[in-house]
Amino acid sequence: MALTSAVTEGAFTARRQGDWDRLDALARKVQARGVRQLAPGEVASVSPLYLDVCADLSRARAARYSAPLVDYLEGLTAAAHSVLYGSQARGGRVAGAASRPSLRAAFDAFPRAVRRHRTAMLVSAVLFFVPFVGGLVLTLLDPAFALNVVPESMLRPLVHAYQEGFAEDRGAGLDATMAGFYVHNNVGIALRCFATGLALGVGSAFYLVENGLTTGAIMGYVGAQGAGGNIFTFVVGHGSLELGAIVLAGGAGLALGWSLVAPGSRTRLASLQATARSVMPVVFGASVMLFMAAAVEGFWSASSVPSPVKRLVGGAMFLTVVTYVLLAGRGSAKAEALERAEAAPWT
Amino acid sequence: MQPPAPLDTDVAIETPEHIVFRHRVAGPARRFFAYLLDLLICYSALAALGALLLLLSAGAGQVLHAARDAFGAAAGVMLVALFAIQWVYFAALEGWRGATPGKSLLGLRVVTTTGRPIGYLAAALRNLLRAADALPLAYTAGLVSIAGLTSMAATRRFQRLGDLVAGTLVVVSGRVQAAAPVALSPPAQLDELESLPDEVRLDAEERLAIELFLRRRSRLGRARELELAMMIAPMLRARYAGFRAADPSRALALLYDRATRAGRRDSLPPSIRPPPWR
Repeated sequence: MALTSAVTEGAFTARRQGDWDRLDALARKVQARGVRQLAPGEVASVSPLYLDVCADLSRARAARYSAPLVDYLEGLTAAAHSVLYGSQARGGRVAGAASRPSLRAAFDAFPRAVRRHRTAMLVSAVLFFVPFVGGLVLTLLDPAFALNVVPESMLRPLVHAYQEGFAEDRGAGLDATMAGFYVHNNVGIALRCFATGLALGVGSAFYLVENGLTTGAIMGYVGAQGAGGNIFTFVVGHGSLELGAIVLAGGAGLALGWSLVAPGSRTRLASLQATARSVMPVVFGASVMLFMAAAVEGFWSASSVPSPVKRLVGGAMFLTVVTYVLLAGRGSAKAEALERAEAAPWT
Repeated sequence: MQPPAPLDTDVAIETPEHIVFRHRVAGPARRFFAYLLDLLICYSALAALGALLLLLSAGAGQVLHAARDAFGAAAGVMLVALFAIQWVYFAALEGWRGATPGKSLLGLRVVTTTGRPIGYLAAALRNLLRAADALPLAYTAGLVSIAGLTSMAATRRFQRLGDLVAGTLVVVSGRVQAAAPVALSPPAQLDELESLPDEVRLDAEERLAIELFLRRRSRLGRARELELAMMIAPMLRARYAGFRAADPSRALALLYDRATRAGRRDSLPPSIRPPPWR
């Protein structure tokens, strides 16, 4: 163990302070204004300065310089480290490969992620559509059933609204309000449906069943009061986007929960982290679908466009959504299987 | 030779250069206040936007329809803004700069468990899972998050569920300025120098303890200062028998000065160690 050091702390500090201040100024500049604001010369100087400060820190520790000096150098190293090293995602890419996520890549990543977790998505669809059909059929058989699920004070105005039909536009203002409401409410539900999947999938399952049952009961109740055609016309335009997105977000939540139940060869935490990253494209995609659904629901579904046109457009929309999710961005079967194995080793 | 790990809220991060630096992990209280601050900022901005939209739509026209449409559109914009506050604000700002304004103001920053900037994916993930952290009281805007607090209490790095899943932690980024080395004031007097040994050796723990004491002593009461100095001075007096000083505190200052300035030698740890003071 080297016990002596030639330099006193004062002399060491005096000699090195200039470099420390330069690195400090660069780190602060990047933190305040971003790495792109650095001049080419400054960019080139960050790395050597950082390496020198790393060496200074080692030297200060070895020479047992005072604690505040070591703390200061640690802080400086940490700050420079976060300037020099990007996040893991950015750091992992090979130089020369496409370094910025393109819109095209995102367009493909979403359906690929859905297919990667198809088991969870199918379970999610069952958890949503079985209560949906159940609620619908039971309410059609006995309209009083809906009152068990949805308060009457909510059902009455709905029935009233759908009996009136869409002969008159409700006005652009109300359209915009409703679109905003759908963004706030529906995207919020989908994201919550995903996030609460962390509780072993129970949260997602709850939101799926609850939303399926209520939606079915409302449609059945309105149908039983003789306005079934109208509510179908209303829902058909945005339904495939909206209900599809809820099912996909719920499926992402179920995958998250299942990764805790059956982590395969990983630790539970590692399995959770890997699955969470793998399902994120689904969550983003479902949110975008819900934004689109909100626009359609706000400005198109309640408009006075004739009913057959709405149903035709709704049908086309349904086909588009299904085709997109099942077919878009298909790589080779081998590549997709590999991706799938990586994300979900338990299947 | 590493001293035993102190009972502290630091995490050590090793860089590719094999340098280990420590981050101070932020506790729940400070993070809660940062969150409150963010909510305050957001809802103030929302209120301002609301007032502006109200004025604009009130000015939109005397015609009944135009005014009604304008109010409707304003309500729609407000709802989208509310959505952005709940789901976008935190993720976007943390992904962009590593901290929301509230966190910055309290000196907090989010980093990955490997000490890197977090990026948008991790930022989105940890903030989406705020909803899971808020369980079982899901509708308290995250202000009462029982699951999150439980998780923070159970993990060494104060990670809530969102942090665990995204692989992130919140650290205190406030940087210390380089402090001047401890100076002896007033300078050593002649009579003190007479008995001061030529060579003083202190081991690392002693140096650290004395240094931290010397830096703090101006803020201590005189009685407390002497009381603390008495805890270590007798041990040193035994080592440097001939040395005399006015009081134990002054004695420590003199010995420390001699040990760090002249010779710069660290002693081997004494074979019989005093009980650790922690």
